[in-house]
Amino acid sequence: MSLVSLVEIQKESQVREAILDALDLIGYKFPAIRKVVIKPNLCYYWDYSTGRTTDPRFMLTLINLIRDQASSNIDLSIIESDASAMKCKYAFKMLGYEKLAKQYEVNLVNLTDDETEDAEVTVDNEVFHFRVPNTIRKADLRINVPKLKYMSVDPKIKITCALKNVFGCNPYPRKFEYHGILGKVIVALNKLMKFDLCILDGNIVFGVRTKRMGLVMASRDPVAFDAAAAEIAGVNPKSINYLFLAQREKVGKVSYVSKGDCLEHFKAAYPKKETKDKIFHLCRNLVHAIGLGDRLGI
Amino acid sequence: MKAVKLGLIGLGFQGRIHLRSCTKLRNAKLTTVCDTSKKALNYAKKWGIKRRFTDYHKLLEDENIDAVIIALPTFLHRTAAETAAEAGKNILLEKPLARSVKEGKEILSAADRNGVKLMVGYQMRFHPPFIQLKEKMDDGILGEIQTAYATYIQAGPFSHRSERHIPRPVPEWWFHRELTGGGSLIDMGCHIINLLRWYFGDITDIQSYLKYRFNLEVEDNAICLAKFNSGPLSIINLGWFSQRLILRIELNGTMGHTSVQRESQNFIVTAFKRLLTSSSDWTPFTKELEHFVECITHDFQPGPSGADALKDLEAIELAYENRHKILPSQSYRYPERESLA
Repeated sequence: MSLVSLVEIQKESQVREAILDALDLIGYKFPAIRKVVIKPNLCYYWDYSTGRTTDPRFMLTLINLIRDQASSNIDLSIIESDASAMKCKYAFKMLGYEKLAKQYEVNLVNLTDDETEDAEVTVDNEVFHFRVPNTIRKADLRINVPKLKYMSVDPKIKITCALKNVFGCNPYPRKFEYHGILGKVIVALNKLMKFDLCILDGNIVFGVRTKRMGLVMASRDPVAFDAAAAEIAGVNPKSINYLFLAQREKVGKVSYVSKGDCLEHFKAAYPKKETKDKIFHLCRNLVHAIGLGDRLGI
Repeated sequence: MKAVKLGLIGLGFQGRIHLRSCTKLRNAKLTTVCDTSKKALNYAKKWGIKRRFTDYHKLLEDENIDAVIIALPTFLHRTAAETAAEAGKNILLEKPLARSVKEGKEILSAADRNGVKLMVGYQMRFHPPFIQLKEKMDDGILGEIQTAYATYIQAGPFSHRSERHIPRPVPEWWFHRELTGGGSLIDMGCHIINLLRWYFGDITDIQSYLKYRFNLEVEDNAICLAKFNSGPLSIINLGWFSQRLILRIELNGTMGHTSVQRESQNFIVTAFKRLLTSSSDWTPFTKELEHFVECITHDFQPGPSGADALKDLEAIELAYENRHKILPSQSYRYPERESLA
């Protein structure tokens, strides 16, 4: 079983302490390395206050910690790629990453423009071909800093957290083309690009609404990390097929041991989907399915 | 009576609203549309529009078309409106009139030169609650209006950030000041300034504070303090920064206060309301188009006119001149405050 740590942020000014505690609980220390890539979760042009994207302040806290623990001369890159509805050059600027990169000498890499190598990967007996960005390939340490959200585009995926965040490492921008086979593609990309550490920016979260939850979660195992995240979001990990697919493909283990603060505490705090939200989504999908949404200008 | 034949140039977000609204018109028919995107033209096909072009010059060559609705990005307004005026078409031009007063004047002069009607798409002027507000004011029930507070906040070009929608790409022109003419102040401010000018007359002075939360070339939040020649002072709060829409006008008079407020509505409530109300009631866009068509049929000057919209642009330009910039914080520190209970 893999270790997953959960630490409550007591005060916003103590995020650094919370990250340190979370890493301590899983026995992680940043090694002396040269190149580090950090993958935040940037989604459209939603800024951190929505709870949908990684807070640049959380990112900076982590960067300072890595520099303090590993080396001050470390080569740090924040990575993201263009998506169907988001262009990195605008997202980096609008969400505060461009300024952060300039001020704190961090590289910003749009993986869509990065040099790549072709790679083949098999998941569930299906062969997938992707381009793996060199920035990721050549990194000594890969850190995944996701957000915890419900997945609205593909209901089978249920939640998006660490494994889904790696989907954003695929440089191909027309990502909507993968919807329908998203589960397999997520696992395939996680097989190709293994991240060494996952740290959840759960200070502000977005479930059915935005909420300050004050959580830092850490694990070396992205599957265990997502299983714990699903529990917090009120989703049974056993109902998420791609977690088990990831386990079968040896990306990680679904079973985990949680350390630190009680998971139930965060589960109670997370803005979960209630029955009325489920009815609402059902009605909305129905209205759109019969083409009424467009007619009514909704 | 002969039905007015309409052409629609631009099938983006706003253009599609016009397309849908046109289908509800009784004395007019949308016969032709134009857009550079095949996907957009397919959308029009689904709505039964038979003549579809990718070049608006072809649409303007059609002698059967009496008027055109121009729903293009702001930077294309001048060229498209001038070409339409030269082709002798009456014009309903989406707001804002243009990127600048200079461009706006060129549009007006083209319309005058060619003797065509020019109306600007301020649909709020056709929204019953705002009309009722003016009626109350004109009736004297509120006494003399001293102050007005106007708030119009939403997600602007990022309106698909709205939490229950799937994100869609933002057209890139929105990110460039030279193509938009500005940010929330021109984009949403023109609506509010036009409405307040309709209530109170011309603006004699206006100051603005502009904020740049999203680090763009254009402001995403503008707070203006405007003085009207009829006396009232107004605070106008315009923002592109929120997932939730709020549109609120509050009037404070010597004998009373009143306000109108529109917020993001529950999806189910909106759907039911729209299903239950008569076809043209739920959208001011239909009423706006009905007015435009009526003015063409009876040879009246439509309002809000181009000259009216030019005055809005003059006020907006003055607000940009009298601006105080508030840049985003350079600090990436979390605030020193108690966090959770």
